[in-house]
Amino acid sequence: MNTILQFDQVCVEARDRHRDMTPILQSVNLRVEMGEKLGIVGGSGSGKSTLLRIAAGVLSPGLHHTSGKVSTAGVNMLAVDPKVRQQMYGSTVALVAQSLGEALTSHLTIRAHFHDTLGHDVNDETILSSLGDAGLDGVKYLQRFPHQISGGERQRILLALALVRSPSLLLLDEPTSALDVGTAADVLATIIKLQELRGFALICVSHDLGVVGRVSDQVVVMNRGQIVEHGLTERVLATPSDSYTQSLLASIPRLHVRMRTPQLSVQPPVVIVHELTVIRNGSTRALDSVSLKVGKGEVVGVIGESGSGKSTLLSVISGLVSSSSGSIHNGNGFDLSTPLRNRPHAVLSEIQMVFQNPDDSLNPVRTVEQSMSRYTNANRDEVLVALDAVELSAQFLTRRPSEMSGGEKQRVAVARALLMHPQLLLLDEVTSALDVTVQASVVKMLASLQAASGMSMVMVSHDIALIASLADKLIVLRNGKVVEQGSVDAVINSPIDPYTQHLVNLAATAIRK
Amino acid sequence: MKNLTRRALFTFGAFASLAVLSFLGIDALPGDGCTALHGRFATPAKIAECREEHRLNDSVVVRLGNWANDAVHGDLGYSIKRDDQVAQIVLPRIRNTAMLAVVAGLMAFPSAIVAGLLIGRYPQSRVGRIINTLGLVAMTLPEFVIATILWLVFSIWIPIFPGVTVVPSNATILELLPHIWMPALTLAAVVFAHSMRTMKAGVTTVKLMPFVESARLRGTGERVTLLRHILPAALPPVVNTIAVDAAWLLTGTFVTEAVFNYRGLGRLAIDAISDRDTAVILPIVLFGLGVYLTMSLIADMLVRLLDPRLRQRS
Amino acid sequence: MNSSSQRRLIRIRIIVYCVLGFHAIVALIAPLLPLTPTDEQDSGAMLQGFSATHWLGTDALGRDILSRVLHGGRPSLIIAVLATLLSAIIGVALGSLAALAGSWIDEALARFIDFLLAVPTLILLLLIASFFGHDPFILSVTLGLMYAAPIARVARGSTQVLLARDFVRVARLQGGSGINLVFGEVLPNVWRVVLTEIAMQFTWIILAFSSLSFLGLGASPPTPEWGLMIAEARSYMTINPLSVIAPIVMLGSLVLAVQALVDRE
Repeated sequence: MNTILQFDQVCVEARDRHRDMTPILQSVNLRVEMGEKLGIVGGSGSGKSTLLRIAAGVLSPGLHHTSGKVSTAGVNMLAVDPKVRQQMYGSTVALVAQSLGEALTSHLTIRAHFHDTLGHDVNDETILSSLGDAGLDGVKYLQRFPHQISGGERQRILLALALVRSPSLLLLDEPTSALDVGTAADVLATIIKLQELRGFALICVSHDLGVVGRVSDQVVVMNRGQIVEHGLTERVLATPSDSYTQSLLASIPRLHVRMRTPQLSVQPPVVIVHELTVIRNGSTRALDSVSLKVGKGEVVGVIGESGSGKSTLLSVISGLVSSSSGSIHNGNGFDLSTPLRNRPHAVLSEIQMVFQNPDDSLNPVRTVEQSMSRYTNANRDEVLVALDAVELSAQFLTRRPSEMSGGEKQRVAVARALLMHPQLLLLDEVTSALDVTVQASVVKMLASLQAASGMSMVMVSHDIALIASLADKLIVLRNGKVVEQGSVDAVINSPIDPYTQHLVNLAATAIRK
Repeated sequence: MKNLTRRALFTFGAFASLAVLSFLGIDALPGDGCTALHGRFATPAKIAECREEHRLNDSVVVRLGNWANDAVHGDLGYSIKRDDQVAQIVLPRIRNTAMLAVVAGLMAFPSAIVAGLLIGRYPQSRVGRIINTLGLVAMTLPEFVIATILWLVFSIWIPIFPGVTVVPSNATILELLPHIWMPALTLAAVVFAHSMRTMKAGVTTVKLMPFVESARLRGTGERVTLLRHILPAALPPVVNTIAVDAAWLLTGTFVTEAVFNYRGLGRLAIDAISDRDTAVILPIVLFGLGVYLTMSLIADMLVRLLDPRLRQRS
Repeated sequence: MNSSSQRRLIRIRIIVYCVLGFHAIVALIAPLLPLTPTDEQDSGAMLQGFSATHWLGTDALGRDILSRVLHGGRPSLIIAVLATLLSAIIGVALGSLAALAGSWIDEALARFIDFLLAVPTLILLLLIASFFGHDPFILSVTLGLMYAAPIARVARGSTQVLLARDFVRVARLQGGSGINLVFGEVLPNVWRVVLTEIAMQFTWIILAFSSLSFLGLGASPPTPEWGLMIAEARSYMTINPLSVIAPIVMLGSLVLAVQALVDRE
């Protein structure tokens, strides 16, 4: 067989402003044959994206190649004239980088994108057949601008553009991370079909073992700049030999593995939502007649894809967003449509919220202690107790957000909410920005926190397996409407709504055994 | 379309209310056409007679109404001090200033866009850095300093341009042309760096965006990437900068015109202000307002054309 | 960023601070220096080049250029500092209030800011200066009001961005008031951007005032003021270039230094 890509002792370092160096890739050796399908998996900072990008001869700003050789299709990518490298793009090697739909030029039509890649004398037939292979049918796409098509369609167009000049190596960086579960599965199926059709070598990087497991024959596991395991995908997923791979596999939420025992007892409610509707931009219904009750000590999970209204629901319950119609009360009958600034402190402290993005939830200029005590008026002892509850030590008191990892920041955000002694904690995708292994530890922490405090929680996620592991009750939202709700066992074991059935099926087959 | 209509309505409303405010404000200034005419030789009797003759004793509302009515019909009023129709005084000056603005704009804007694009794309270039620094200096220094330096260099040390213009305000365009280069060069030097730096900043940001790398990685050529992917994405803020600068070129060139004794609107404004000829000041103020508001409306429309996402919404 | 360009940046920084320090000290202590009085006319020595008695020569009235140039920044600096303070206070208050209030109040204030931006600055200044004389207080207030609009726009924009961030939402959920949010969460994160804009306005105000003086409507003779000095000396430029070059260097170095300070390149 012919080798399409070879790494020899490749080392890459990051240098910051103070000229401190951090190794990103440490003596990486790798060989990929023509037509092979390789998956690369690892956490953030594992070097997996750097590895993929350097295969195309690209290094992100701040990174430096220090030693070793990368040869792609026999060309020494890091030593060759940039012009030669530029000519290889699209014809020999193509890279579809990770992006949240920003990889297409917003002011150009899809047809113009193909023209810029292929030259202006290309006819629409060629473009249409290329789009057709990527699962997009119809002339309608040619005239459209990127903002007029959905995320999944954009990803397919990027694939079509990358493959239109038949490269022999396709590099994909997190091809599905910005997509909803259902769309992601369809896009992965298209990738597999295209690979079978064209026979190019495929390298696919993802943080998600499920994604990698689906598209690859061989898998590489990376941790801290090193390849810790490399082997047949089936073998690695079934019997991992490296300890990091083992913990990675063990951290993946499974549909039927529970972190706490679901309770079905009927408790007095802490919040009652009745036929809540939120209208955005004049006509769009972000939420459409949603009703729910959260009992004392109950954990309610809300599942839905992006745009389903799940985050809006939390914002309304918290009081950050006001509803258009419907009612919302707390357990004592207090009207929670009252603006935040008019609420008595006792009511205000009842409901607290933790947000999705760890980089956004703490004021960058403050230390942990300042952030935690500023509005809660907590003294140092109370802050320490709260930090202890989220398994952080006293060392963190003086840290600033820039000195903490994502998981640590989310723990501080939870601890800060705890200082208000809330009865209800709202969790908006709090683990979705974290690595799988970190996510597992945060989920475990949340479970034990709930058990110790008896606090109610409403948690929102796109990951049905994750949410099922913590919740007593599940609510499935779609286009602002509740399509299914019930006890966690009922929804997981015998879903009634077809959309819920689809989600459960996808989650059940997420890891190919 | 709804947004655009609203935007145009705002522009019109702002103009109308600022126009009324300007009329009232200028009216409230001490003195009027009659005191301006008689200056320090005024006697109460002369002033009273003059005011009677020119109906300045009417209430301010009546005069505002009359003025607005005349203005809509193309009559900008009468300057007692200059004993002439205001339109006769102002229009040739607007033509002269507009010519100066067009020449300066043609010198500055296209070259600024090209320079900004190239300097943003190739920041290491030595020539680029020198142009950037010179532009920054020219942008920061007051115009009269630049004018003085240019005058020193091009009229005295290397006399290739006439220093002070001596043509009358109603000279033909051909007569005016030789005298336009020095003030135009001064104005171009002042505005060049604004749009050049906006362009450069835009390119510096845009060239690191995912869609640029994506275009390059699927084999799009360097020239196509620069001209079709980077340039249009970096252009909207430049359009706004150019609009503000163009408005300034048409209305804010008092100092440069004074330095070169160029008979444009700016010179007229200074003269009219110093001999308190409010009848002439008012249309100049309104012209300034109108130009600024129109330019920002045009800029808004152009930005919408450049970005399909905004185009759809408007 | 490589180390040579970093070194160059540090060097520029040092020069900038030295120039600004020089101007600040000169403006403060000029009256205490053993200089010839600024309006003393040496009728025997008009338009002379440098000499032992007049280090930078004399102008057309035989006045000492060095003394006049060192005093010449005071009028513009006093007005610029007053006007900038005023515009900063109004601008930041207006901008952050608009962003914080939201809905129709924000819409109305934003329109008001647009409205202010549309006012032709220089002609208004010329009018005020011409009709109300050279009163520095009136000039500072006018300048301060007019130059508040751009600061308000920047303050509003950056406050809006900040208010949408999650840590501000948490502060609201934990009972933070509007004042708390602005001073506790927003300003500590945006002061750099706002300060840059304020410094830019400072240079524009200095430029506007010296342009006024150049046109004869700012500082009035015989006050030593750079813009005025350049205007007066222009006719004699060929005889004694120093009389023009000296105030140009002073004015130029001040505005360029402030500009270089805010320009992060």
